[in-house]
Parts: sequence; C-alpha cells; structure tokens
Amino acid sequence: MELMLKGFGEVVKTVTLRVRRYDPEKKELPKYMEYKVPVQRGMTVLDGILYIKEHIDPSLAARYSCRMGICGSCAMIINNRERLACQTQILDLGKDLIKVDPMGNYDLVKDLVPDLTKLFRNHESIKPYIIRQEEKVTGEFLQLPEERELYSMFTECIMCGACLSACPTMATDELYLGPQALAQSFRYIADSRDIGFNERLNLLDSKHGVWRCHFAGACSDVCPKGIDPALAIQLLKGMLAKNVFVKYQQKPAKIGPDRKSILETAQS
Amino acid sequence: MAIENKKGWIFWFNPLKYSSDKWLYALHRLTGIALGLYLMAHVFETSRILDGPITWNSTMVFLDWPFGVHFGPYILSGILLAATFHALNGLRLTITESGLLMPKPYRIEYPYKAKSLRGWNMVLKILLGIFMIIISIFGIVYIFTGVIL
Repeated sequence: MELMLKGFGEVVKTVTLRVRRYDPEKKELPKYMEYKVPVQRGMTVLDGILYIKEHIDPSLAARYSCRMGICGSCAMIINNRERLACQTQILDLGKDLIKVDPMGNYDLVKDLVPDLTKLFRNHESIKPYIIRQEEKVTGEFLQLPEERELYSMFTECIMCGACLSACPTMATDELYLGPQALAQSFRYIADSRDIGFNERLNLLDSKHGVWRCHFAGACSDVCPKGIDPALAIQLLKGMLAKNVFVKYQQKPAKIGPDRKSILETAQS
Repeated sequence: MAIENKKGWIFWFNPLKYSSDKWLYALHRLTGIALGLYLMAHVFETSRILDGPITWNSTMVFLDWPFGVHFGPYILSGILLAATFHALNGLRLTITESGLLMPKPYRIEYPYKAKSLRGWNMVLKILLGIFMIIISIFGIVYIFTGVIL
C-alpha cells in the first residue's frame, strides 16, 4: 500500500497561474494577476484555482461542479485553448506559466465566469425535442440500433460551450447559432423518430444559420467530449442543398404497443 | 454588470493551438482579402492605358521597378501563391462543405480525434499541399526567368 502511494501528495514543482481577473463592482478593465501554486502529481488546473481560492485570494470566482468532466461548468481558456479545467493536468501542460482566461465570445460576469445565456437560448431556438404529428402518444417509438448510431454521438454534448468560444464565426457574428445548437439540430433531424425538419428549416437556412460556418474545424478540435460538431454542420449543409432539388423525406418511426395492453394480455 | 468579451475579427487570424483546418481558414481569409485588394488595384492599373502609351509604359516600369528596386517579380509571385492557395482551398471547401467525402456519424472513442478533420479531408489537404508546391515551382521559375519548365 505504501509503495502505491509513493510520491502522492508530494510537491513536484511550483507553477505560476496567470489568471484574468474582472470585478464588475470596480469599474476597471480585466487585468492579469499571477499566483504561485505548488503542484502535486495529479493536480488539475481546477485544483490550482481552488488552491488560490483557499490559500491566496478568496475573491477569485470560477464556475465548477462535478470535477470529473461531466457537468461542463469549468470550460475556460487554458494556455490559449479551450479546455475543461477539471480535465487538464497541470503537469501535462509541461509549462511553468499557465495562462487562464475566461471563455471568449460570451459576456463576462466575473473573473472566469462567462454568461452562457447565449448558448442556452440558441439551443432552445432549434427546438431540441422530438417533433411528432400525433397529439396523444400511447406507446414508445420504435428505433433500431443502427438508426440510433446515426445521431448517438451528438447526444453526448455536455453544453460546456467550448465550441462557441473557439468558433471564429462566433467571434464576429453575434446572432450566429453556433456549433452546439447546429449539432443538436442535426441530432434531432437525423433521429428516425422525428419529423421536424421543415419546422427547423427556416432557422437553419438563414443568414445566421449553417451557411455562416466556414469549416475552420475549431469546434471539433476543442470539444472535451470528442463530439464532432463540424461534421454535423457539413452534413446539414449537404442536406439543405439536396432539399432544394429533392424534398427531404422524414418517415416517422412506428409506435410500439402501449404498456397497458401489454400488461392486460400478460395478466390474462 | 457583465461586460462583452468577444474575440473579434483578430481571432480569424489566430490559428495557434488549433487544428490544421484553422490554419487553412486563416490563410483563406488572408489571401481572400489580399486578392480583393489586388483586384481593385489591378483594375486601376490596367485603366492607365486610357491615358495613352506613355503613361502605360511608365506605369509598367514603375510596377516592375518600384522605388528603384526590381521588386515586380516578387509581387507577382505573391499574387500567384495567394490565388493558387485560395482557388485550391476553395475547391476543397466546396467538396467538404457540401457534405461529400465526410464520414458518417461515428461512435466516439478515446483519444478524441475528430474524423471530419481527418480521413478524406486530410487527403484533400495533402493534395492541396502537393499542388501548391508544383504550381509555385513552375510559376515562380516562369515569373523570374521566363522559362516554361
């Protein structure tokens, strides 16, 4: 047991965290402040920020929750690239100076906390739910595993917002839907249970929709969950282009037997 | 109160720390702007012929020897490289952005490598590089020596 824990808890080296600070109550522009942080093996950038909060400067604000890359709260720009602070090992970065910035392309609330309202509004606007014609659904929708494969990758999105921060179109176009919302709209359009293509068409086929994407690939590159939003957007473009000549057909998935009738037949 | 924290247009030209596609994106924007400016200058330059042969000839000499330096071929080479890159990358984008040669949605596996930036897209990027080298060698030799290889 002692062998396994050898080197655990030892301070390996000291790094400097250069954090961008912004206090909304003081009428000052954001500025960088440097903090010396002793690094242990296995320490993440989020741990470093929490160390600063506990030992050096309690006024530092950062958003975090799960500390294991599930909640997507702690996305920030670490050494000029969007990463989840909880998944970035300080020793893996291999540098003595680590620059920590809040994510760009969002409004800044405080220090490292961006205002993600834009992300959620855009996500909401593409109708992120299954659209059906039936008024009352009695059973579950039937879907084959192969049909699920066509969109399953995009269901992994944790809405950390790193893709919007890395997107060069987002940097200049305020109204652009963003890679996250477009990938999610592809997720629902490609779903065999959904028939909402025409309902989403107007939004996607607009000035600030899919055609604003110029395929810089930054969103797919930075995604901490390995999702490929750029792929979804290119496939959507192909879909919309084909839709001009041949109308896109969506066959709604069949509805299975309802639970009541199954229970009744089982009982009888 | 929350303040705006936009990255702004300067971020178009910052491909550091991102994938090769972002480099090509930055170069595409840069060459696009450069070619747009060149096109306007080119229309103005060729319109000098309306002022007669003497003006035309002096314009030509000035463009070949601006400020007493034989700089014309370098300008031409720059335009050639910009136009070649912009055209070839434009073709690549036309193909990939219409969803052709793109992989099907796949299952995510660690380490996360986006397949839309690899696979056929990578083949096209390598082809772009090869064509760039060939065309720039032929073109620049022709511009400087007048010899067609």
